Amino acid sequence: MAHVSIPMYWRTIPQRYKMIGQKCKKCGAVNFPPKGVCKYCNASSEFEEVHLSGKGKVHTFVLIGAGGAPPEFAEQEKAGGSYPVAIVELAEGPKVIGQMSDVNPKEVKMGMPVKTELKKIYTEEGVIRSGFKFVPDQ
Amino acid sequence: MTVGISGYGVYIPRLRIKKEDYAAAWGSFSAAGVSEKSVMGLDEDVLTAATKVAKRALESVPLGPEKVTRFAMASTSAPYVEKLLSGTVMCGAGVPNGTFSSDHTTSTRAGTEALIAGFEHVMANPAGHALVAVADAPRASMWTTVEHGLGAGAAAYVLGSDNLIAELEGYTSYASEHFGERFKTGEDDLIHDLNVKKFFESALMTNTTKAASALLKKLGRKGEEYQHVVVQQPDAKVPGSIGKKIGAVDTSLASSLVSANLGDLGAASTPTALAAALDVAKVGDRILVVSYGSGAGSDAISLKVVGERRPVNTVAAQVAKKDYINYVQYLKLKGAIK
Repeated sequence: MAHVSIPMYWRTIPQRYKMIGQKCKKCGAVNFPPKGVCKYCNASSEFEEVHLSGKGKVHTFVLIGAGGAPPEFAEQEKAGGSYPVAIVELAEGPKVIGQMSDVNPKEVKMGMPVKTELKKIYTEEGVIRSGFKFVPDQ
Repeated sequence: MTVGISGYGVYIPRLRIKKEDYAAAWGSFSAAGVSEKSVMGLDEDVLTAATKVAKRALESVPLGPEKVTRFAMASTSAPYVEKLLSGTVMCGAGVPNGTFSSDHTTSTRAGTEALIAGFEHVMANPAGHALVAVADAPRASMWTTVEHGLGAGAAAYVLGSDNLIAELEGYTSYASEHFGERFKTGEDDLIHDLNVKKFFESALMTNTTKAASALLKKLGRKGEEYQHVVVQQPDAKVPGSIGKKIGAVDTSLASSLVSANLGDLGAASTPTALAAALDVAKVGDRILVVSYGSGAGSDAISLKVVGERRPVNTVAAQVAKKDYINYVQYLKLKGAIK
């Protein structure tokens, strides 16, 4: 299993539960997930916290199936069948990778409007790891 | 000081299983009047559902989460036996960390317990706003008949003294000692039930009718004066039996009868059913809510609809939006196959 320790996961809760990103004080670009140095200007590590809308559009996607899921999602794939993973272009600019939920995998399309919602991601060390997934935004 | 409901939100998971699938697997289906029921997906639990309805309720007002001064969470199906539930939902919905919260968990009455805790907060703090989120997806062994009816759903309410869509007219409670019906021992997280119909009927009838008649007496009113009577729904027949005892007219039970399509929503039963009534009620209508939890206790709440609502995700629309699963898929989702 791709182990993420509890302290490491805990530090990402603001971004995983509430879409907290950061705006670069030098170039103004929005970084999500938060970075040590702005990935757009590579020149600043000073940021202002911003609450992203969670809304965006599917840039591209793939269906994970046929035993191709990483170990922490193997049970999910076995029980629920293949599931979509998308790169979503958020309304504020950044492109983010995430699972899609509440959708028939066959109905996922590039350009489709989506939004984030809190979901169970997986369980490790008896602790439920929750975080955002993308769901259709109708 | 007039307090009441300023907004609400509901979530019904889209997966459904039909009673015919149970009949094919077990030879019978025991939840009276239930034709199909809702099921949570693999990546959902009562905390994700509560977060979703909490946000929907705040957006319906609209009210910023930073304005919430009291938070209450209710469920009988928490993913942890010990660990604060409200912390997860407050974080997900953006409610300030300094807001006092409470978790209500030990019976299906928990939903109205949380609502009353919220009402009491806004009565004492007229400038405050209470956010109450109730989500449930009860679990029992697949070998028991009590399992047949268990569904999943969630509802949240914003309570306060401004922007009211429904005013609180009063509430009463009744609690008493009854046992043998719907309990968890602590050895596992599954509902047990000795399945003695008499236990259930006497506990259910005693507590609900005592709570409801005390409220009617307090308000000087009769059951027939309510356009909507919202009763706990372990199945779709119970509201009819209780309604009769408290003098409700048959037609007043229809707007909130969600269990026929969703099953037993546990602590979320009356909150979700109340939302269904609020979706269709006219200004001036009166709503009587009567919850029930084994052990046993009941709360009765009287509301008067005072404001127009523009519900976005109505209960009816979510009941209609569904994907069917078969019994084997259901067992996988419920974690019944180890």
